[in-house]
Amino acid sequence: MYACIHHPRADLSAIAEAFSPSFEQTAPGTIVFRIDNLRRLYSTHHQIAQAIIKKAGAGANVAIAETADAAILAAHNFAGITISPNLAQLNISSLPMEQEMWEVLESWGIHTLAELAELPETGIAERFGPAGVHLQRLARGATSRPLKIFKPEITYEDRISLDHPITLLEPLLFLIARILNDQCDKLLSHAMSANEINIRLELEDKSEHIRTLRLPVPMRESKSLLKLLQMDLEAHPPQAATLALSVTIKPVHPRTIQAGIFLPITPAPDKLELTLARIRAIVGEANVGTPQLLNTNHPHPFQMVTHQQQATSNQQPTTRQAFRYFRPPIIAKIELEHNRPVRISATGITGKIQTAAGPWRTTGNWWTNTPWNRDEWDITLSNSTLYRIYREPTDHWYIEGTYD
Amino acid sequence: MTNIRVHPCPSVAKNNYVELHSRSAFSFLQGSSTPEELVIRAAELNFPALAMLDHDNVSGAPRFHMAAKKAGIRAHIGAEVTCTDGHRYPLLAESRTGYQNLCRLITRMKLRAKKGEGAATPVELAEFSPGLICLASRPDVRIIDTYGAKNVYVELQRHFNRNQEAHNQALVDFARSHNLPLLATNGVSHATPQSREALDVLTCVRNKVTIHEAGRLLSLNSERYLKDARQMSSIFRDLPEAIANTRELSDRLQFTLADLGYQFPKYPVPPGETMNSFLRQCVAKGEHNRYYPNAFTAGLCRRAHAQIEKELALIEKLDLAGYFLIVWDIVEFCRSQNILVQGRGSAANSAVCYSLGITAVDAVAMELLFERFLSEERGEWPDIDLDLPSGDQRERVIQHVYQRYGKLGAAMTANVITYRGRSAVRDIGKVLGFSEPDLGRIAALVPSWGWVDPKEPDPKDTAEHQFREAGFSPENPLISKFLDLYLAIRDLPRHLGQHSGGMVICEGQLDSIVPLEPATMPGRVVIQWDKEDCADMGIIKVDLLGLGMMAVLEDSIRLIRDSYHQEVDLAHLPQDDPQVYSALQKADTIGLFQVESRAQMSCLPRLRPERFYDIVVQVAIIRPGPIVGKMLNPFLRRRQGREKPECLHPLLEPILARTLGVPLFQEQLLRMAMVVANFTGGEAEELRRAMGFKRSEARMRDIETRLRSGMTSNGIPAKTQEVIIQSITSFALYGFPESHAASFALIAYASAYLKCHYLAAFTTALLNNQPMGFYAPATLVKDAQRHGLHFKPIDVTKSDWPCTIEEHNGQLWVRLGFNYVKGLREQLAQAILNARQQSPFTSIQDLANRVPELRKDELRKLSEIGALNFIEEVPIHRRAAQWNSELAIRPTGPLFTTNQQPATSNQPLLPMTPTERLNADFHNTHLTIGNHPLAFHREKLNTLGVTPANQLKNIRNGWPVRIAGCIICRQRPGTAKGLLFLSMEDETGVSNAVVMPDVFDRERATILNNSYLFIEGEMQNIDNVLTVRATRFEPLHVAEEAVPSHDFH
Repeated sequence: MYACIHHPRADLSAIAEAFSPSFEQTAPGTIVFRIDNLRRLYSTHHQIAQAIIKKAGAGANVAIAETADAAILAAHNFAGITISPNLAQLNISSLPMEQEMWEVLESWGIHTLAELAELPETGIAERFGPAGVHLQRLARGATSRPLKIFKPEITYEDRISLDHPITLLEPLLFLIARILNDQCDKLLSHAMSANEINIRLELEDKSEHIRTLRLPVPMRESKSLLKLLQMDLEAHPPQAATLALSVTIKPVHPRTIQAGIFLPITPAPDKLELTLARIRAIVGEANVGTPQLLNTNHPHPFQMVTHQQQATSNQQPTTRQAFRYFRPPIIAKIELEHNRPVRISATGITGKIQTAAGPWRTTGNWWTNTPWNRDEWDITLSNSTLYRIYREPTDHWYIEGTYD
Repeated sequence: MTNIRVHPCPSVAKNNYVELHSRSAFSFLQGSSTPEELVIRAAELNFPALAMLDHDNVSGAPRFHMAAKKAGIRAHIGAEVTCTDGHRYPLLAESRTGYQNLCRLITRMKLRAKKGEGAATPVELAEFSPGLICLASRPDVRIIDTYGAKNVYVELQRHFNRNQEAHNQALVDFARSHNLPLLATNGVSHATPQSREALDVLTCVRNKVTIHEAGRLLSLNSERYLKDARQMSSIFRDLPEAIANTRELSDRLQFTLADLGYQFPKYPVPPGETMNSFLRQCVAKGEHNRYYPNAFTAGLCRRAHAQIEKELALIEKLDLAGYFLIVWDIVEFCRSQNILVQGRGSAANSAVCYSLGITAVDAVAMELLFERFLSEERGEWPDIDLDLPSGDQRERVIQHVYQRYGKLGAAMTANVITYRGRSAVRDIGKVLGFSEPDLGRIAALVPSWGWVDPKEPDPKDTAEHQFREAGFSPENPLISKFLDLYLAIRDLPRHLGQHSGGMVICEGQLDSIVPLEPATMPGRVVIQWDKEDCADMGIIKVDLLGLGMMAVLEDSIRLIRDSYHQEVDLAHLPQDDPQVYSALQKADTIGLFQVESRAQMSCLPRLRPERFYDIVVQVAIIRPGPIVGKMLNPFLRRRQGREKPECLHPLLEPILARTLGVPLFQEQLLRMAMVVANFTGGEAEELRRAMGFKRSEARMRDIETRLRSGMTSNGIPAKTQEVIIQSITSFALYGFPESHAASFALIAYASAYLKCHYLAAFTTALLNNQPMGFYAPATLVKDAQRHGLHFKPIDVTKSDWPCTIEEHNGQLWVRLGFNYVKGLREQLAQAILNARQQSPFTSIQDLANRVPELRKDELRKLSEIGALNFIEEVPIHRRAAQWNSELAIRPTGPLFTTNQQPATSNQPLLPMTPTERLNADFHNTHLTIGNHPLAFHREKLNTLGVTPANQLKNIRNGWPVRIAGCIICRQRPGTAKGLLFLSMEDETGVSNAVVMPDVFDRERATILNNSYLFIEGEMQNIDNVLTVRATRFEPLHVAEEAVPSHDFH
């Protein structure tokens, strides 16, 4: 005999484990297991079902039937407890079948399991093949199959609750190191690596501080991971003392690379990531990476991307005049004659404008709240330096940079 | 470095610059202003001229020319022509030769490519170069070789773009080294800076990207707008000759579309004949055939002859004999091929057209007004519309015209597809990146509900309110932009389509008048101008229109010949057939031409047609004109003798007598003007046009003054003058031509005659020419059954692709064809017929084996509708056929393929119940020849006090009543002040209900979302017109499937 529990919300594996060490998770919210051994504890099937439903809580359906499939069907379609169910009047739509087969059966006037069960088996086999026969056996409650035993997924997660809040980073790192050591050992034993670490700090002010590190290459050295977490927490410290912490690692298969004899030696990926993390901590995250040209007419047509997002290209770079951006642009005072710049005055850059070309006008993003509209000029000063200046709609002038 | 400085330049004369390179929205998604907007802006900027060069077409040229003519500026015509070398060549027509070469060049490149593609080769550019000026936009000496140094201007554009300037420097160097003139243009693609946003959206549509992905595809800035001379002179201050040359080139460009060089088509006549003499011969022959056999009085013959002479004189004077002969030739071809043809529209006013057999209405006997068709004063050419059977027969006629006049001598007119409400919403929404569900919600906001009370505009109708209601915030920048863009893009041309039937014929020289393009339909060629453009350019055309009822009549005649063994000649049908008039008077008109709609049926019992002219009136009276002009009810009251027929003035009596003093037709309006105000025929036609849809206040005032002075000189009192003017002005907008009504009435009479006397043939033909008319096939079948016709089901052993007629115990029954099996392919039906012809099928397995094209879904459908019930020696029921079919379609290897009976011949399935059969029929064929769904529930409906449709006539006016049925039509016409009309069908007939606006608002969901309804209301039984004024609705659960309703709301 089999019991099936159907409950869309409850954690059924924990409930099933209370009754049987091996069970099948047929679908999220549906679990089925054998109950023959429970007869030593409970005298009737009804008592078994009552025990299960007591554990599963309100809203659960429990069915006990001769076969696993019959129990599943009953648990899906009948509320509460069902023992040795009569499935005859169930609609055929409750059976797992393809839309096409369902349409054919409907058009034949076959609406219930009883009607399907009564059709000649040979006829069904000739028309629908093995799938039809299986379906009919389901309808007759005549299937017999072994359970597909559920194996839980291995998780790399740990949590520590503290008796006293921690305010300093050093003791916190000590605890993180403890978790990381355990988890990295676990990764090693399963021949896995980490490509993402998530740390969640539960703070004294009831808030949470969550940080996620996405690693460029799979790693499992706890020291490197700890260092990365340390730098990240230094750059983004929690706003209150920590009461509990949990660390979750996303496992992936490790990357195996065979080094070539003639290839230049590159830094070890984990070392490179550590170096980049240090630079990011100094100059800010948005300012580290490789510039990537954007498909836009915007005056700043690029963005910084990390090496993870870079697209590789075999195209040889073309030689173009380079432009050096001032970050941020320098505020300038410009004197105009007939709407043409004649003199510039800015920090470190002052003088009479020798030649000026422009205006070069760009407007765009008119469909957003941040449209742009600017007039640019290219100017040369007496020292032959070629600058790009621009005027915003507010009539403020800026020096954007110089041409190399 | 080059300096570009923008500042006022007082030394430059105001009109020193002409924009010679602008692109309109007719560049299809590459320009965002209409030709008219460009012209208006150019006129505001005091330009003496403007050139428009659209991309590979001159589709916008007529509108550009007409707008420029109105604005008093010269319109230079040209195009940007794509070359196979990957560049575009901006070409301007200097002379008529140049324009003709441009048209031929575009035609050549278009006709050999797929629709919307094509490029000219450099050799072709050279071949068609005479008379064209090329604007060189790149330094290439081959351009000079092609066009000659005198015809090349080096084009400079400055849009404040850093990269452009380097290119300009190269162009200036090129021009100086080859001694070529420079020419400044602004490469305009929108009239004003604001239109740039619409252009960006169109760019996204063209490239199939959202605006967020478009990036550098979008304009760099908004500088491609029409700039005035001062701005352009300032931008090209360093190159003043580039500005000065624009005027010089503009002066060189002598060609405008006024100098098109179009000549009326010529018809090849026998040796020794002129077109005029040959036309006279043809007309004389036709006159003899038409008038002499039927002339009971010499008076009619005399009048006819005089009228024909008058018409011929005018035709000769206007040099139109070739046109009439071409149309006559088409009609003769149709006759020789047994294709039904009949002229419609104003051509029916002509005795010459009647004599030539082009029209079937005797204009002289019916005293129709020739000037409505053709007049010297009007300066417009006649427009002859021919109705042909829709489908293959019409295509045969079109192909005949192509063959006869050559590929470059005849073409269909184009139809400019413009952005309309929903298409604009969808394209803009997609570009702005709205999700599909959001797009659907916004598209649903586009007003589609016919009627809005103009006196009480509802604040809920504002776009802002509707957007807010639908959950979109107008404060969101994307939404507010959406609204602006919607207004900017609406009515802009989207692409060029094909007009349904307009053909232009110009023997062997059409491609020098307008470029030709291939149509999407194979074998069709289309010109780049639409119908109105052709009219504006004075190009004569003939409309070959497909009419479903013509196909029905033609098919009926064939079926009558084959099944009834009788010959029916539509030209000689018995006049005044009592059965026809009896059916019309009872509004028993389902399936008839023009008189079958709910509105027509509600009018017929009141008008009670008794002779042919009554049908002419009936066809014309249910139109917006008589309804809006409040002519309908006075006419019906007079017709029923409840009101005395009175004319506005004794002078109008001869004109209005036959319509009982009520003006119903456009011809009456013209005659009124002629009689009371001494207008000539042409002046009267001018009056009609002046008061048409494009009314001009000034023209209206002028005509009113002339009307008044004419009436005063005829001694008509001021009070009557007022009434007459009121009557003319209110009616001119919507009036229906009497000639057109008469042509349609002939077809309506023919359809009624065939239905009354040859019901099987007429119904079969109707079913084979769907979709057409007002009713779904299911309703047509039920109506025919109520008239005693029997149907046989679809049967693989008997059915053809179309419905056919079979003899059954001396009666003619209709056999439904495979064309009614939803989703069944015609080629499969043909394969079944071929296999069946070799030997009859012995079993379903035999059918599946011998027709391998048969898909399993098709076999399932055939078995479900009972089409396989008679395939075996002993008839089986549908479910048995389904059981066997499922085995037959199961794939087996060759080892198991067998023709033998299935192993499980004792099938276990129960036969279908009547309701199951009904649902299967509706689901797979959209109709049933079995009982009507309501018939299964009649007992229950009786207990609810529901009156069947055929018993409603027994309910007194004002009494409460309950009806029930399947909704076959929901209609909310714009002229009905918010009323909704419902037509419902039960097993006894069709009943009608009217829903007041307040009831509709309350019951909207029930009415619109249910196929079967129970209605409670008050009976309106007036003059045998039966309508239920509905007050309460309930959904009726009768069947899963239903007749699809025709909704017009």
